[in-house]
Amino acid sequence: MVKVRYVERPTLSTVEKIFFIDFVYGLKTTIRNFFRKTITTIYPKEKLVPPKRFRGTHAHRAKDGNEPPSFVVLAKFMEIHDYESRCVACYMCQQACPMPTLFKIEAEQLPNGKKRVTTFDMNLLNCLYCGLCVDACPVDCIIMTDEFENAGERRNQCVIHKDDMTERGISFDRRRGNEPDRIWIDDKAREKLWGQIEWT
Amino acid sequence: MELIGVILGLVVKSVIFVIGMFLLAAYLTLVERKFAGHIQQRPGPLHVGFHGLLQPIADALKVITKEDLVPDFVDKLLFYMASLLAFVPAIMILAVIPFGEKITLFGYELKPYITDLNVGLILALALGSISIYGVIFAGWASNSKYPMIGGLRKAAVLIGYEVALGFALVGPIMMAGSFSLREIVEAQQGFFGAFIWYQPIAFIVFLFAILAETGRTPFDVQEAEAELVSGYNTEYSGMKFGLFPLAEWYIATFVLSAIAVILFFGGWNGPHIFGPFSSYIWFLLKLGIVFMFLLWVHWTLPRYRVDQITELAWKVMLPLTFINIFLTAFIVVIKG
Repeated sequence: MVKVRYVERPTLSTVEKIFFIDFVYGLKTTIRNFFRKTITTIYPKEKLVPPKRFRGTHAHRAKDGNEPPSFVVLAKFMEIHDYESRCVACYMCQQACPMPTLFKIEAEQLPNGKKRVTTFDMNLLNCLYCGLCVDACPVDCIIMTDEFENAGERRNQCVIHKDDMTERGISFDRRRGNEPDRIWIDDKAREKLWGQIEWT
Repeated sequence: MELIGVILGLVVKSVIFVIGMFLLAAYLTLVERKFAGHIQQRPGPLHVGFHGLLQPIADALKVITKEDLVPDFVDKLLFYMASLLAFVPAIMILAVIPFGEKITLFGYELKPYITDLNVGLILALALGSISIYGVIFAGWASNSKYPMIGGLRKAAVLIGYEVALGFALVGPIMMAGSFSLREIVEAQQGFFGAFIWYQPIAFIVFLFAILAETGRTPFDVQEAEAELVSGYNTEYSGMKFGLFPLAEWYIATFVLSAIAVILFFGGWNGPHIFGPFSSYIWFLLKLGIVFMFLLWVHWTLPRYRVDQITELAWKVMLPLTFINIFLTAFIVVIKG
């Protein structure tokens, strides 16, 4: 048996009906907004800096001495020079990706027995920026940066490659590597909205 | 010879009025867009010219050069006529509106109105009502569902507010004893002579009627962007489309604000502190305030349903006007 609960809708009092009090409240709100500062940004002139966790164009972290232990284990089987992409061609990102044809990863075996990544292409036209590839990467190589202006005039301009991804990763780490990992750019704005966080 | 002079003077004056009103309406769009933007905490047009000052010109060029599509199976005559029928009567109301006192410049006596009819107010009302037929015809002629609903809604609203509007104006007319807009202004002398102090009920009903007639927000059922695509003008394009908002939202609102100023706020009466053009400046100042108030209401309130508008018009506004008429008649008779 379904119990139906009737909710009393708020009704206007006689005074409110005669003098349109709620209209006056609305007019007060709009005129207060009218004298406030605008909250828009004039986009091509002003650009907002996205938060560090923003899921923008992908990049590769380089081999720069900050690798996780999992990379150190694999590094001796890989032919990777300093400040090159630390990708080990494990295909985890391709496995995690919901779009089967987004990645094109190729690797070869060198005569000295080591493995070298030759191709790492991503077709961003198919990408939905879910970030699953970032979660899947075992060596903390593929990341997503704060760059969002990746429109191109031709389709092939939307395919990113290993080299430019490495460049982007280096520049991203240089720009924002030391920044604490947080959602809000401005801690004060967050505190105003959500209050102080009380850690246990 | 004198007749030719009179005719020439009238033609020149009319052309000045029409062109001036066109330019003014174009810039009123900018005023509205800026105002609406700032109410929603965004700046409005900003890039064309200094703070968007050239935006109306860009808009006009765009609207004029756009392809003018006429859908198949429309009622051609009514379809073409509707946009003109909305626009021309709205601008014709200007003929009876006095913008200030007579002034003498270089020996010529300049009258700031095209004609001073003794039935000016009635003519303004009649033309305002004809202008509504443009909307209804547009809805009917488009042979499309949303415009049809929009046009019918406007017709339903029209039935409601027109009666209340007519009766609301009886109060000021009785107090002034004339239909001529100039004489009504001359009947209100001094700060406390303005009819707003004696006819507040009539003013509220008149405000309701202005909002309903010009299709501004609490009563914009004929456009209702969220429900009816764009309402009665969905099938229109190019300048035929441009004339509708221009006529309804800007010229009609401007002209009806002018009538509101004349009827309730003492028209151009005011202290002579601006020199010879004092009366014009007072008139335009009051007009601007009323117009901005209408914009303010428009960008604040949500929309009434059609049945609510009809209910409001017949059950609230019409009895209010009757009470107002009886009270006014009583007072006028007692005071002699």
